[in-house]
Amino acid sequence: MSHATVLDAAPPQAPVLAPGLDAGAIEEQVLAAPLWGATRPRGGWWLLFLLFGSGALLLATTVTITVLKGIGMWGNNIPVAWAYAIINFVWWIGIGHAGTFISAFLLLLNQRWRASVNRIAEAMTIFALVNAGLFPVLHLGRPWFAYWLLPYPTRMTLWPQYKSALPWDLAAISTYFTVSLLFWYLGMVPDLATARDRAPTLLKRRVYGVLALGWRGAASHWHRYRVVYLLLAGLAAPLVVSVHSVVSLDFAITQLPGWHSTIFPPYFVIGALYSGFAMVLILLIPVRHTYRLQGVITERHLEALGTILLVMGWLMAYSYVTESFIGWYSGNVFERYALLVERPTGPYAVVFWVMLACNCVTPQLFWSRRLRRSEPVLFGASLLILVGMWLERFTIIVTSLNRDFLPSSWHLYVPTWVDWSILAGSVGLFGTLFLLFLRYVPLAAVSELKELAHELHGAPHEAQAEEARRA
Amino acid sequence: MSGAHPQEDGHRPRGPEFPPGADQPPEGMSRRAFLELMGAALALAGASGCFRQPREKILPYVVQPELTPGVPRYYATAMELDGYATGLLVESHDGRPTKVEGNPDHPASIGAAGLWAQASVLGLYDPMRPRSLRRNGRRAAWGMLAQALAPAALAARAGARGAGLHLLLEPTGSPLTAALLARLRARFPDARVHWDAGGNAGGVYHGTALAFGRPLQPHYDFAAADVVVVLDADPFGAEPNALRWAREAASRRDPEARTGMSRVWVAEPTPTPTGMYADHRLRVRAGDVGALAMDLLAALVALGTSVTAARELAAALRARAAAGGDAPWNPAWVRGAAADLHAAAGRGIVIAGTHQPGDVQAAAHLLNHLLGNTGRTVWYTEPVLPEVADAARAAATAGAPTPPGAATLAQAIEAGAVDTLMILGGNPALTAPAELGLPRALARVRQVVQLAAYRDETTAAVGAGGDHWFVPAAHYLERWGDGRAWDGTPALVQPLVQPLHGGHDAAELVALLAGERSTVHELLRAEWRGRAGAAGFDGWWDAALRRGVCGTAAPRVAPPAARLETVAGMLDRLRPAPGGALEAVLRPDAKVHDGRFANNAWLQEMPAPLTTLSWDQAALVSPATARRLGLVSGDVVRLDVSGAAGGRALEVPVLVTPGQADDCLALPLGYGRRGEDERLARGVGVDGYALRTAATAASGIVPGVGLARTGAHRDLVLTQHHWSLLDRAEEIVPSAAEAGAQHATPPAPRRQLTIFQPVQPQGADQWAMTIDLARCTGCSACVVACQAENNVPVVGREEVGKGREMHWLRIDRYTRDGSDAADAADAAGSLDDPDFALQPMLCQHCEKAPCEYVCPVAATMHSADGLNEMIYNRCVGTRFCSNNCPYKVRRFNWFDYNGEVAATEALAKNPDVTVRGRGVMEKCTFCVQRIREHQIARELGQAPPPVLTACQQACPTEAIRFGSLTDPASPVHGGRESPRAFSALAELGTAPRVRYLAQRRNPSPLMRPAPGGAA
Repeated sequence: MSHATVLDAAPPQAPVLAPGLDAGAIEEQVLAAPLWGATRPRGGWWLLFLLFGSGALLLATTVTITVLKGIGMWGNNIPVAWAYAIINFVWWIGIGHAGTFISAFLLLLNQRWRASVNRIAEAMTIFALVNAGLFPVLHLGRPWFAYWLLPYPTRMTLWPQYKSALPWDLAAISTYFTVSLLFWYLGMVPDLATARDRAPTLLKRRVYGVLALGWRGAASHWHRYRVVYLLLAGLAAPLVVSVHSVVSLDFAITQLPGWHSTIFPPYFVIGALYSGFAMVLILLIPVRHTYRLQGVITERHLEALGTILLVMGWLMAYSYVTESFIGWYSGNVFERYALLVERPTGPYAVVFWVMLACNCVTPQLFWSRRLRRSEPVLFGASLLILVGMWLERFTIIVTSLNRDFLPSSWHLYVPTWVDWSILAGSVGLFGTLFLLFLRYVPLAAVSELKELAHELHGAPHEAQAEEARRA
Repeated sequence: MSGAHPQEDGHRPRGPEFPPGADQPPEGMSRRAFLELMGAALALAGASGCFRQPREKILPYVVQPELTPGVPRYYATAMELDGYATGLLVESHDGRPTKVEGNPDHPASIGAAGLWAQASVLGLYDPMRPRSLRRNGRRAAWGMLAQALAPAALAARAGARGAGLHLLLEPTGSPLTAALLARLRARFPDARVHWDAGGNAGGVYHGTALAFGRPLQPHYDFAAADVVVVLDADPFGAEPNALRWAREAASRRDPEARTGMSRVWVAEPTPTPTGMYADHRLRVRAGDVGALAMDLLAALVALGTSVTAARELAAALRARAAAGGDAPWNPAWVRGAAADLHAAAGRGIVIAGTHQPGDVQAAAHLLNHLLGNTGRTVWYTEPVLPEVADAARAAATAGAPTPPGAATLAQAIEAGAVDTLMILGGNPALTAPAELGLPRALARVRQVVQLAAYRDETTAAVGAGGDHWFVPAAHYLERWGDGRAWDGTPALVQPLVQPLHGGHDAAELVALLAGERSTVHELLRAEWRGRAGAAGFDGWWDAALRRGVCGTAAPRVAPPAARLETVAGMLDRLRPAPGGALEAVLRPDAKVHDGRFANNAWLQEMPAPLTTLSWDQAALVSPATARRLGLVSGDVVRLDVSGAAGGRALEVPVLVTPGQADDCLALPLGYGRRGEDERLARGVGVDGYALRTAATAASGIVPGVGLARTGAHRDLVLTQHHWSLLDRAEEIVPSAAEAGAQHATPPAPRRQLTIFQPVQPQGADQWAMTIDLARCTGCSACVVACQAENNVPVVGREEVGKGREMHWLRIDRYTRDGSDAADAADAAGSLDDPDFALQPMLCQHCEKAPCEYVCPVAATMHSADGLNEMIYNRCVGTRFCSNNCPYKVRRFNWFDYNGEVAATEALAKNPDVTVRGRGVMEKCTFCVQRIREHQIARELGQAPPPVLTACQQACPTEAIRFGSLTDPASPVHGGRESPRAFSALAELGTAPRVRYLAQRRNPSPLMRPAPGGAA
């Protein structure tokens, strides 16, 4: 490990790949589900699929109701014209950040441990973005005209209004989604080829064969693959920063106290990564456990993620303090009220304090190495952080809107059953997509892991393969 | 931005997409000529279809060009309420009335129209109006009724002299009705008429009868009065002549007025529009107002006002003044008001509410007399409602309050004297004091004919047995008639449409009884031919219809000698009630009046002045009383009046209201309706009439009310939940001193260092609005006017409760003092004597509008003439604009609110304004349709109509002024640069086109300098 980083600097470290894990074993483990239908846990997968699938159906139902009847089915009002849909949007898009961060940044920084987790993280990004992309459209009063935000040549020569942050938003998110999808798919091509080669049935061979785009593992393939992959990583890395910066501008360009703040872009990016890493842990831990991937996803990974949460937690705390301090320092009565009276003592004060507890107190657990490596603690803390980050968006959006400049227009926001169902349903859709991913897609980068195994253990895997073939 | 053509101000398209000559007519029949023919054909098809103007000739206001399809015309008519007519101009689109304005030529309107007149258009199109005449619940024909009521048939049953014939009428000043009644009495001398004085029309005569020995109509000149002392009256809000009085008073509330500012002292139990004008407002229980008047009289005598007529009395009064006493009010208020009145003798007005007992009103008249105001600022004429006045005189002589018509009727039924009862107005089963048992009595009458707008409580009480008829009443926009204003000026009522559902009216039925079978139109012409003279009558008639006024005000009469001796009795009778005893004040509501407008969705949804209650009713309690009783807003309490007729009780939620008198509950009447047709009104509030007795019905003041908590809670629907301005007064609605202080300092240098360039106006016109807060009473006529003009949808109780009301214009009300923790909602406040601040809030049409730059699809843009425009069909509904609007004046169509509008209600829509669909934003447009109408006329070289926004036109006090900044003659400039001018949230740099003029109080130097001037 010549490329020492902060993470690598900690003295005794667990290995990034269990010793003795060879290429064959890696293939067996990772391709078990897609090729031989070895879902885990056996009945549990179906049970979970039923659970999350019903959630997805609930989402479909409530989205249909909303489109048929109108946004009035939600609790939104004037002044709280934005609420759950936008909270969910920002929350999901934040979650989507860790995937690309892990893939692209860590690839560029040559962090080898990423190979075990990047596929899951990237899948998470895609599914989170699918969810996130739903909300801005659904949230429109007339969602069937969502395409008016696109710059397309209309008969009336009318273009989107580029002073508004929403067309930037659309551009940023669609770019991010496209690049993330390409990056995920491209990274998967060698693995799909492996799946094709080892597929037990004709159908699977055909399907994986088409998806593998004729990959034969030739040196020229590898060469071009590496170049494109690196280029895409280079393209994706700045997007990680830009997307949530742009999302934050939806708020920062307004003059609403609690939104009108220059700290928003970095603050939102940090928050996004924070929730993203928490979600990675929530997905990784059960997968590692049920698929017995302790050799591939080692304690080293868990510890690294735990450390990231601790750092991010402090960055969040710093952001909160700065935001409130500037609110006070501005001397503006509206800013002071919004940040120093309304948030800590207003009708939604409970949300604010629970948010602080979740986001700033929870990660303090990870000062302890033992807890950083404990699966239950990491899982529980990540859940709390995800809740905290959702509440943070609630605080920013609803708590700022419900009491703005004129006390005459102050009004509370109360979510309806449709609001709650859409939130629950989006989690259902995410879970459903992730379960399908586990079932049909190689859940770790087999080719990279094999490469890693080769580098780490130095075993001539050709010989081992020969041996295996003979046996 | 791109694509839209911001510099395009007219209707003639310019730009490269139109080749030269494209706007020239082609050869042969031009497109325009074709469209004109088509339009005319369609309009004629419509005219011959279901929508008909009356058969008789009706005449538009003044002289207007001949009918052009699509161009509305205005017809003068009048609406009568509580006996007094207010002249109106009604906008008619191809025979369809859509909007009511005031008639500038009518003395009770002078161009303004109150909220009931504004909302009456919706009443016309109410789909719940009954559609047929019924006998015992079954459809019947008018001919059958005419036969049953033929004089011969009547005489056979009710006796040749008509002894069994009883009529119940609402007070009316109609000369035609008076003449018909006279003819009926000539035919049936024993027939009896009961006047159901809903709204207590007789009260005013009771007072004058006591003071002068005979009933008179009092008149006041608020424009000439330097000092006004209001004793529980609402001359600028609820009184029949309020539009005129409010305008006159407003002319003296302007600190820049040439005649100087008046000083207004108001003592009232519950905040009213009049109270908003108070320089010193005293909260006092309604039952204590009489004692307060006596204190005022005593204080005046102590100051030297001579009571030469009665030396003993003067001594008694001096003794009272010297004793000071234990009155539950601030004695400084009495001393201050007395000093002002004394100093301004002959230039002051004392006015007591017509609801107050006759004693109190008489005291006010005597005060005016003693001060020499009578004949100057106060004068008298003969009563406009003579028959009501006679009843009041009889009561005054007997020393009792005027009995409601229902009481005399109930007695007659008890005595078995009623054979045929004609209920030609009012809703006695609802409004009669319960102990009369009128509903049960009505069912026993052999023949009842009820004329009413809806099948109501009385219809239910009459029942379907015997020979009971229900006749649907014609709306005033559907019938001929006449009426008189407060000052006696007569006006004609001309219909704009034929009755939609075959309605009839009272004059028609009285004529029928008198054996006259002519139409009301013929009767009316005959009546006025008699009055105006046959010579040249047709010309007179046409002129009267066109102008809407057909005579002059009643002549002044010198009042008989004031009866000062009555004061001695008053001094004994009028004493403050013991503290702690709860009093209930039951008065007609500011929205639904006595209940007759309860089925009007515009009025039900309108936030009540000051409380902002919508689709709800509550008993108002003061913060101190709420603290004492441990109540918070929404707590349901049980009110009971023990002793009276076995005791009756009501369960009603309370609303803690700053400015309410302590130990006094104000419960508006007109709610808790149970009528069969009025389904909209059902379930809204409780019936406050149940607490009134025969003794308290006239005044509505019920002492000794028991209150018990029920433990239940109702979430009241309010559109504004917070009272306090916190520390934001200077930014939002500064007082005049604060606004002036901002002006006094030279522009701060940091302002000059701005990187933003001022907006360079492009268009020829630059529209702007100035709102003078010194003139605003919060009456809310503008709110309903805006709703009517701009097709603002009604959303219902649940939606308003969620914060989704659609009003483009709202009246924000604040208290200047108190913190948020002291908000009335939690009853722990110190808002007992608040200094109210009102602020009509609408789209500010910011020059640098925050809503515009956040819209991703350019659906809200700035026009060249300075309007912030909303392009509905471009809007996708992101609601980003609302989030960035610091005034929160944008409204969103959360559902398809216009999708479920009944077919008749759709007729009330203004065809000049888009009806908005689901999912789009909307907001105040500065009545852009009227601006464009003006511009089109100007471009066509016609005389352009003046641009008046709907709110401006409705405003009785001319608080709202509108016009183009580029027009030096425009009224919008008035005060715009004065030290009182300010922009709301100016610090945000939005550069609003709406500018407010700060309110200034005119406090008395005798009062301790209270912040803001509240007593």
